[in-house]
Amino acid sequence: MSELQLLSLLPFMVLAVASLVVILLIAFRASHTVIQVTGFIMMCLVVLATWYVKDTLPRLVPPLFIVDGQAALFTGLIIFSVLVVGLLSYIYFEEREENPKEYYILLFLATLGGAILTISQHFISFFIGLELLSVSLYALIAYLRTRNHAVEAGMKYLVLAAMSSAFLLFGMALIYMETGTMTFPGIAEKLTDGISSPLFLFGTGAMIVAIGFKLGLVPFHLWIADVYQGSPSPVTAFIATTSKIGAFAVLLRFAQTVNLHEYPLMITVFSVIAVASMVMGNVLALRQQNLKRLLAYSSIAHFGYLLVAFLTGSKAGTEATIFYLAAYSITLLAAFGVIVLLSTGDEEADRIENYQGLIWRKPVLGTILTVALFSLAGIPLTAGFLAKFMVLSAGVQQSQWPLLIVLVLTSVIGLYYYLRIISTLFATADRPVNIPGPRHPFFYFSTYAALVVLAGALCWLGVFPGMVLQGIRSFLLLH
Amino acid sequence: MPILFYLSSAVAIIATIMVITRYHPIHALLYLVVSFLAIAMVFLSLGAPFAAALEVIVYAGAIMVLFIFVVMMLNLGKETAAQEKDWLRPAVWIGPGVLTLVLLMEMSILLLAPPQRNVAVAVVTPKQVALSLYGEYIIAVELIGFLLTTGIVGAAHIGKQKKKSLHRFLQA
Repeated sequence: MSELQLLSLLPFMVLAVASLVVILLIAFRASHTVIQVTGFIMMCLVVLATWYVKDTLPRLVPPLFIVDGQAALFTGLIIFSVLVVGLLSYIYFEEREENPKEYYILLFLATLGGAILTISQHFISFFIGLELLSVSLYALIAYLRTRNHAVEAGMKYLVLAAMSSAFLLFGMALIYMETGTMTFPGIAEKLTDGISSPLFLFGTGAMIVAIGFKLGLVPFHLWIADVYQGSPSPVTAFIATTSKIGAFAVLLRFAQTVNLHEYPLMITVFSVIAVASMVMGNVLALRQQNLKRLLAYSSIAHFGYLLVAFLTGSKAGTEATIFYLAAYSITLLAAFGVIVLLSTGDEEADRIENYQGLIWRKPVLGTILTVALFSLAGIPLTAGFLAKFMVLSAGVQQSQWPLLIVLVLTSVIGLYYYLRIISTLFATADRPVNIPGPRHPFFYFSTYAALVVLAGALCWLGVFPGMVLQGIRSFLLLH
Repeated sequence: MPILFYLSSAVAIIATIMVITRYHPIHALLYLVVSFLAIAMVFLSLGAPFAAALEVIVYAGAIMVLFIFVVMMLNLGKETAAQEKDWLRPAVWIGPGVLTLVLLMEMSILLLAPPQRNVAVAVVTPKQVALSLYGEYIIAVELIGFLLTTGIVGAAHIGKQKKKSLHRFLQA
């Protein structure tokens, strides 16, 4: 391995070191605050490292990895989400468990798994990354094991994720049997020789099961509501952003490399999954009384929208997916941030009644949640609207009319349940709710400030997306 | 020989089904060992002796260690001996025993049969495996190290008990 290749892997090495540093800090009995601050600094270092190696991209690290602009974008998005999740974790875990330290090891290892997925171009690294992500998530979901739903959620995720890993391995084995190679470019090379073989299509189908599970797409969505509800709120935010970004990044890379868009059968499969996700996600969310479950169902619908952009297979489609993921992550992090700040030591603020009249009780948090919900619904002047608009325009260029019609119709259904919550936020509070004062003032206010920045970013992205889009384009050119 | 492959695959499937339908963990473990041995036999029948040996050492060996642990932890005297006897009634071990016998027969057939000259089998030596693991796949090996760390940290956290219970040797 040459020096330049090692250099291009620098961000991932720093990320790996972060988990080791946390282990050492625990060994030296460092306090929660020290670990939190060190973790924050390490994540900032990862971002700096990514920025530092940007000019040497793209770099191939055969046979496992390719570090290019797209990978850097996804990694950046993942690290950004983890920064916010880490910040949310302090307040949340400080009030609940006396020993929240191992949490950070698992969090950083899961992040490493997600980041590895973004640079994978080989089945082995793909599988190891996915397992690293899943195994950490089993423990993270059940982290507060004395709570009622935590172990149940962890168990559900464990069984289903193990099942989906089996599908993934079987699919990989079939493709390996057909092509005799496990690198994505190698597979693409072998496939151009012959026509699409049933073994390849069957193998890809089995892999779609695993990826669909990770992304929570219909019909592999059975875990999503229970896991969202049962896991600690910062972990839910992590699953909703980092884990899904990683899985999507590897799907995108695989599809781009082997030209999945040239197989009519695959297009049909993905279209059916996209339509089913959009319809089911929105319909299931309609009558939800639990905010976390509602966000779970809405995430099904959102990844359905994302598949529409993915299906175009064009440059505009890739740009749209990345912008969409960025907007979606910011939105969800803001929403979960509000949930974390409103939760008390013994009660998760996840029922919709908890939010009645929030805007009068806590104007700032109420406004942040309102902006986030507007963005999820795709109301103009928020990032969500622009993201949806880019998906639509990418779809129009490829004239995918049936999908686009479903997208628009289901968005209208979606509007109903987002607006239902917003109307709850503005209703008069009929019962006085005792709000706990900030117990950890420094972290409380920094979380508060972070949420305000996130909400500001949502509006800014919705009004002036030019700079970010320019950035995405310049990164995408590095391949 | 394809018949050996299918026979050992069948043994593997039967044993695995028995693993997940047993109620007693020790009984399930017995079948699990058989299942791993059957998979090793699958490798052997495909002409991969090194993979077969690894399968036996790593997986079946690990289960044996688990067995020893359980026996060691629960070894409290006469009543445990009675309990062990109760666990290992003929009805319990006859199933795994028969399946293992099938595997043993297969292996003897494979070893005693005259070598077939018409099949070209590339033998993968331990050295080749080591070279590729610590050569081009070194990052994958390191990542698997992190994967193991994750498993250990997660299991340690989930399994941690509030109440401190000392082993009987340490109770003084």
